[in-house]
Amino acid sequence: MFRLLTVASASLLLLAACEQPSAAAPDKAAPAATETATPAIAGPGDMAPAFTLVDAEGVQRSLADFKGKTVVLEWTNEGCPFVKKHYSGAMQALQREAVADGVVWLTIISSAPGTQGFVEGEEATAWKAKHQAAFTHLLLDPTGEVGKRYDAKTTPDMRIIDPEGRLIFVGGIDDKPTNKVEDLQGAENFVRAALADAKAGRPVQTAFAQPYGCAIKYPETVES
Amino acid sequence: MPLRFFAAFLVWLTFAASAAAAPSALDQALKAGAVPSAAGPQRTERIEAELVPMSAWAAPGSTAIVAIRQKIKPGWHTYWRNQGDSGGPTTLTWSLPAGVSPGDILWPLPERQRLQSLMNYGYSDTVFLPVPIEVTASARPGETLPLRVTAHFYVCSDEMCVPEDLDLALNLPVRDGAAPLDPRFGQLVQDVVAIAPRPAGIEARAVFADGALTLTATGGPLANAAPKWAYFFPFEGGVIDHAAVQTGERGPQGLTLNLAPGRGLSANGLKPPLTGVLSTDLGAWEISADQGAPLLGATGQGALGDGDEARASSAGSTAPADFAKAALFALLGGLILNLMPCVFPILAMKAAALSRSAHHPAEARRDGLAFLAGVLATFLLLAGALLALRAGGQALGWGFQLQSPGVVAALSLLMLAVALNLSGVFHIGSGLQGAGHGPLSRLPGAAGAFFTGVLAVVVAAPCTAPFMAFALGAALLMPWPMALAVFLMLGLGLALPYVLISLSPRLLARLPRPGAWMETLRNLLAFPMYGAALWLAWVYGRQTADALALLFGAGLMLALALWLYGRSQAASATRRLAGIAAALSMIAALGLGVLAAGAGPASSEAAASASAHLPSQPWSEAAVQAALAEGRPVLVNFTADWCVTCKINEGAALSSPRTAEAMQAANAVYLIGDWTRRDDAITAELQRHGRSGVPLYLLYQPGQAAPRILPQLLTEGTVVGALKDAAR
Repeated sequence: MFRLLTVASASLLLLAACEQPSAAAPDKAAPAATETATPAIAGPGDMAPAFTLVDAEGVQRSLADFKGKTVVLEWTNEGCPFVKKHYSGAMQALQREAVADGVVWLTIISSAPGTQGFVEGEEATAWKAKHQAAFTHLLLDPTGEVGKRYDAKTTPDMRIIDPEGRLIFVGGIDDKPTNKVEDLQGAENFVRAALADAKAGRPVQTAFAQPYGCAIKYPETVES
Repeated sequence: MPLRFFAAFLVWLTFAASAAAAPSALDQALKAGAVPSAAGPQRTERIEAELVPMSAWAAPGSTAIVAIRQKIKPGWHTYWRNQGDSGGPTTLTWSLPAGVSPGDILWPLPERQRLQSLMNYGYSDTVFLPVPIEVTASARPGETLPLRVTAHFYVCSDEMCVPEDLDLALNLPVRDGAAPLDPRFGQLVQDVVAIAPRPAGIEARAVFADGALTLTATGGPLANAAPKWAYFFPFEGGVIDHAAVQTGERGPQGLTLNLAPGRGLSANGLKPPLTGVLSTDLGAWEISADQGAPLLGATGQGALGDGDEARASSAGSTAPADFAKAALFALLGGLILNLMPCVFPILAMKAAALSRSAHHPAEARRDGLAFLAGVLATFLLLAGALLALRAGGQALGWGFQLQSPGVVAALSLLMLAVALNLSGVFHIGSGLQGAGHGPLSRLPGAAGAFFTGVLAVVVAAPCTAPFMAFALGAALLMPWPMALAVFLMLGLGLALPYVLISLSPRLLARLPRPGAWMETLRNLLAFPMYGAALWLAWVYGRQTADALALLFGAGLMLALALWLYGRSQAASATRRLAGIAAALSMIAALGLGVLAAGAGPASSEAAASASAHLPSQPWSEAAVQAALAEGRPVLVNFTADWCVTCKINEGAALSSPRTAEAMQAANAVYLIGDWTRRDDAITAELQRHGRSGVPLYLLYQPGQAAPRILPQLLTEGTVVGALKDAAR
């Protein structure tokens, strides 16, 4: 009996050892989707990539057209709750202030056709009035090419380009990453601060802020 | 593993005893009628959320754990504390009665949710976000704490994001005594708490140079481990490029990860410490990396994947290979079961019985198949019940039936009866003509064989439970038809030797001729059965408080009854008298048995003492001072039997061999302040440290006046790390 017990317990130990979960984890690193890892994307201090897009009225607009002026790029998507928070009045007010200061404000929609935020034709023409916005132009980027060139990830996502064509601010509009309108109170708006710094000839104090919001609906979103 | 099993067992037991006595918070809320924000699940189109308790009630002066249970619509996600590139974390706004204060969310490890060039960290399907809630010592047993929380979720799909606010409520009863796990989700919440990433004594350094961020981590669970993959989830956004592939290298002491710097890092530089969760195939831990040169021993043993694909495949359905493997192991396990002390005697007797029918192959074949049917049917029944209970949300494992003291008591008595039969005290059936027969071969033909099969599985259960729980864990994660198939393979393994013999005339012919040797063997085989009965009685003794005497009484009466019955079989003259006496003793045995089966569960103190504990002394201020005067660090554990959190900590972090080693290395003194009963000195000490309840862990270091307060949810790593610091 004792021998049997010994054999039995030994076999069980063996069994238990074999049964250790061999967490099947392929060591292969995913080769896909590594494009964002390339450091080629412009950050603060780098020259802003050139682009040409068609605006809501069908007119071609190039970044080069605005050389010598401070340019703000704003990625938007009217269906995104984070954008809605800022379009409760704060974004429009900031656009108005900036434009009054001679800043060119370009609002860009990179949503692919059929995705949230995409507009064309009359809807695009009516966008500005619908949202009582005060930007200079609404640019349409349905291929997402310009958005990706700037590594815009979310809506809202902001860029400020100085008169020499250098990026002086990149990233999130403020420090309250929520969709709640009440959080606009007491939030530090980095775009307003950076524009003030630039106007006063000071270096921009916060040149990058972590962007937050909804993922930009690039075309691949639809395919996958 | 034994510890885990033990904990689950404990929990089940307490639950079983209290399920009737303690209505769940939900029931109470329902009874209370119209509560403004009703307890129970709240829903929107995309998410269902509910505030659920881990334990059935909260004891005054303890830390209870509640959790936000989310059931997310397929294709949608909610987010981790760092949401990654889009979305936003779940936030909670509590409104709690006075004296009740919430802690931070204990975030479970998130999934990596890749969305084109973006990477989000979040959750899908079902997720629990546990939150410790401190309940004041002045809470009165019998009252109900209305817990209210507004949970703000960002629920996003690939297409859109929708913020959802849900008002959740839970009425948490206050009661004294050890709270059992809440029957609905308690076990699941406890499991989440148990594996939620926490500090584990891993040392880490981060260095950002030439546009590259290098993270090294060594020690703790990483030492001498060989992870296959590793991935770092930062707490802060913008520090790393979330979407970039993380490449790494393994070393003898730990690992190195090369991280693509995020925009924030490039713009603002590294602001240490770099904090986050290091996830590997071996586990996930919270780490905090100071800025500094890479640690030694973190390279040189090969490349690490980042496990992204592993995630994707493990989330998928069970691979056929896994199923085949589990089935094969189940078959082997079943075969081995034949050798277990509980089963062996019965099967050996059955085989001996077979040898008699060796010259009737048809009869032997029929018996063999009936036996197989009995085994399979019983396995199917047990496995089906188990799977059904699990589907109903109960966290049970194989051997669950043994978690009830009543079942254990009954099995113990059954073993005793079988043993007595083997000893020849009585025979099944009416006469002596079957002296050489096994106890169960007396029932006519196929039915007898079928029930032998049933009995074999029933008595095999005590042996299966401790050993097979681990192996069968895999089966429980499979879809139910596969799981049932695995259980059937186990049964097939158990029945196989007997079936093979009965089906093969050649083997049958080789069996020794029946004779007197069979009686000797039978009597010998009684002893493993006595052993099994004693073992079960011992288990029962651990499960219950002071009811062992009842079981022993029942055993004694049963033995008397069976002996009298045996006498009546032997001598027809005294048959009537002995028969009556036997019946009376049997009634007494049954009565005691029923009482024993219904005995209350043991207090957790008695049960907890079963697990290995560090040598300790009772706490007193003088003891602390005395140890410090000797220049020894002091670890003080303020605990109480009814404090579930305390017990979890003591069961895991405070009883591990590594902790014991660290205690010894630090030459530390371990003092326990037991607050189970009112103790003013301890109450005052708790208040001195700003606490109103237990657990409280203090680590005194010689030469320092103020002790270090360790977190309420301890991990081995925290304790070991703190002890190392104290010994320096």
